[in-house]
Amino acid sequence: MRSRNYRQEKDPKLLERIRLIEQTDPEYPERFHEYRRMPNSFYVLGELPDPKGPVVAIVGSRACSEYGRTQAVRFGKAFAEHGIQVISGMAYGVDAWAQHGAIEAGGRTFSVLGTGVDVCYPDNNYVLYRRIIREGGGILSEFPPGTGPDGWHFPIRNRLISAWADLVLVVEARLKSGSLITADYAMEQGKTVYAVPGRNDDVNSQGCNRLISQGAGIAWNPETILQEFGIAAEDASVKEMIPDKTHSYMKKSVRKGGENRERTAEAQTEARPGTRLPKKWEHADDFQKVYGFLNSDPQQLDTLAMLSGLDLPSLTGVLMQLCISGYAIEPFPGYYCRS
Amino acid sequence: MFCRVLSAAIAGVEAFPVSVEADMGDGMPYFAMVGFVSSQVREAQDRVKTALKNLGIALPPKRITINLAPGYIRKEGTRFDLPIACAVLEAMGLIAPEIFEDTMIIGELHLDGSIGSAFGVLPSVIEARKAGCSVCIVPMQNLAEGQAVSGIRVIGFSSLRDILDYSQGVIPEQEDGERRMRVLDYDVDFADIQGQESAKRAAVIAAAGFHNLLLMGSPGSGKSMTAERIPTILPELDEEESLEITKIYSVAGLLPEDISLIRRRPYRAPHHTVTQAALCGGGSPPRPGEVTLAHRGVLFLDELPEMNPAVLEMLRQPLEDKRITISRLSSTCTFPAAFLLVAAMNPCPCGYYPNINRCSCTPRQIQIYQSRISQAILDRIDLRCEVMPASYEQLTGRQRHTEKARSSAQMRAQVMDAAEVQADRYRKLPMRFNSELRAPDIERYCTLSKDAADMLKAAYSHLGLSARGYHHVLKVSRTIADLDHESVIKESHVSEALCFRCQEKLHSQTGKPGVQGGG
Repeated sequence: MRSRNYRQEKDPKLLERIRLIEQTDPEYPERFHEYRRMPNSFYVLGELPDPKGPVVAIVGSRACSEYGRTQAVRFGKAFAEHGIQVISGMAYGVDAWAQHGAIEAGGRTFSVLGTGVDVCYPDNNYVLYRRIIREGGGILSEFPPGTGPDGWHFPIRNRLISAWADLVLVVEARLKSGSLITADYAMEQGKTVYAVPGRNDDVNSQGCNRLISQGAGIAWNPETILQEFGIAAEDASVKEMIPDKTHSYMKKSVRKGGENRERTAEAQTEARPGTRLPKKWEHADDFQKVYGFLNSDPQQLDTLAMLSGLDLPSLTGVLMQLCISGYAIEPFPGYYCRS
Repeated sequence: MFCRVLSAAIAGVEAFPVSVEADMGDGMPYFAMVGFVSSQVREAQDRVKTALKNLGIALPPKRITINLAPGYIRKEGTRFDLPIACAVLEAMGLIAPEIFEDTMIIGELHLDGSIGSAFGVLPSVIEARKAGCSVCIVPMQNLAEGQAVSGIRVIGFSSLRDILDYSQGVIPEQEDGERRMRVLDYDVDFADIQGQESAKRAAVIAAAGFHNLLLMGSPGSGKSMTAERIPTILPELDEEESLEITKIYSVAGLLPEDISLIRRRPYRAPHHTVTQAALCGGGSPPRPGEVTLAHRGVLFLDELPEMNPAVLEMLRQPLEDKRITISRLSSTCTFPAAFLLVAAMNPCPCGYYPNINRCSCTPRQIQIYQSRISQAILDRIDLRCEVMPASYEQLTGRQRHTEKARSSAQMRAQVMDAAEVQADRYRKLPMRFNSELRAPDIERYCTLSKDAADMLKAAYSHLGLSARGYHHVLKVSRTIADLDHESVIKESHVSEALCFRCQEKLHSQTGKPGVQGGG
């Protein structure tokens, strides 16, 4: 028996906000008339994407890697910071992280669901679902309220994600990924497609790399895409990324909101260096060394011990410092990567 | 004529004295057995009658009544054959009553008069000593086991004929007890494992503080190999512990014939299809299960999520109380169960997560797989370690950093040191290891340095440590500090404990299983 992993919204205050938008309504997006296979009507909970502002769709693998996660958050944040609305499918992995990043940066984000607008699937994303609505975004669906998840709903809702977007960004995709369906619809609808490049041997990046070879734009940093919308932004990726030699968690005083216990990307970025504290630390050199061996791929303790040549007690000491101060994270127990 | 000899029955892992009374009187020839006996015990009359006949002793045509007292406890097993035969021989006047004074008798009879082995000889001999007996008569096969008890003379017999000779003052030739006292070495060693430094380190910490350990890793990464070697680094058994374990194995009938006292830490690895009764003990009368057989040793549960959840949940009580109580219609028994739990699991159904390139599971599958282990069980596990498959260089022993894999002897030396420190610290408490620390004692014994306290505070707020996780980390860092002979817990001890902490949620809070956070 399949266990139920969606959640039906029960809050009457929320449910009464569900609206049906017909083809004849002024709110029905004008451009939908130009595309093929558009629904005659759809449901919305919350707001509709502002047709005057730019909209970017961020889609990607559900089983995303740490790299996919950080990139999704990074792009989602960058767009939100520059007033670009982010639309996605609120699935596991890239979709959810991109929307999460956008919300964290104070942006508006929209989810096109393969279920009714009152059904949150997967249920893990319920917190996100409520936040999207609360923070001025919206939940959209062509399926009537109460519709549960069904395999065939998801590929077809992808045409709506691309239809609402001005540009589609694929963060991570396998060769047979649903995200590539979104990219296909986007091209059919005449939208620009960007893909985040990845390593050749990462199955999660092969779909993106193939898109690039087929002519998709290379999303090597968010600014490239911002420029598409005529937004000139300075390249934030050039900033110094190496931690200084101070006793790292001494920096907690410079952290904003120490009570914020979520390991959000925002909190981690805020913890990045900038303030130097005078206190020197005996393991400072090891600190640099271990950080140097960390990358976006989570690595196991033994691997790091072998690379760095440190014994376990010193290595664990350094790693915990890095984690606490936000330079590194432990995405899976016993595995470490850069935050 | 009435006469009485002493024997013992088994309840749980303890014995209690039973007096076997025989009376021979006039009346219709009859052989009656009373005293709340099971059918196994009732069969004794036929074995006794036939064995006597085959020794050329004819039972007189009299009314023979056998009573096993106390009559309110049910008696099981075949261990009463020999005492019944002895009582009958006494009643017939073939053996003088003073021969079996202050003597406990245990043994099964075969039809030809030879004596077969019995379960639970060790606890019976201990009980005999307690009851003030000076001699204990046991089957020859159980002699080694009986001789483990000092302060009482244990004589092995192989036939009822020898008993008759004994009554004439001839003591049968005893097998050499010395030969049987040999200490058996473990046939595995940590030196067999190349690499796996973090798993070995976790094993040392687990062994030193008797912390339960969860090993996670892909198939073939060496989880079972590591678990199997943990008994080899546990502190050596002292006399009392040896006796405890031997009693259990004696009652379970699992004691090898040539071993007098078990001196190796037990290692039990039940298959994941194990039933509730097999794991925790059961049956009527209750018999010890795997948790009891692993007493003072290691209970290894491989493929933890594949186990029946109902069976797994039964571990809660023994993990907490170090013993298990089994209630059955006939009796209620409490078995000791102070074991070190070593559990192993794959991170996902296919086993390769978090290697996204090899893992073929969906986020949902991983979540379901990992959530099969309840929070209650995870709460009782202090340490968690990731086991990585060894690289080719490690396998072939050509690794750059470690010239030679550390052996069990080296690791045990470390563990013994830490055990001594703990024994010294807890000498006034009814406990021996850091893992047994209760919340009020934690504050008292886990003194943190300023830096360590800062780090723990930072970890509490930034690594999502829970209150329970905080206590786990404190206990484990106490053990790590003990391994370093430090009385105050330092920052490095805390950080290592944090690295090996068993997280509340096993699956990632990021990546595959979607967003957990948010407002």
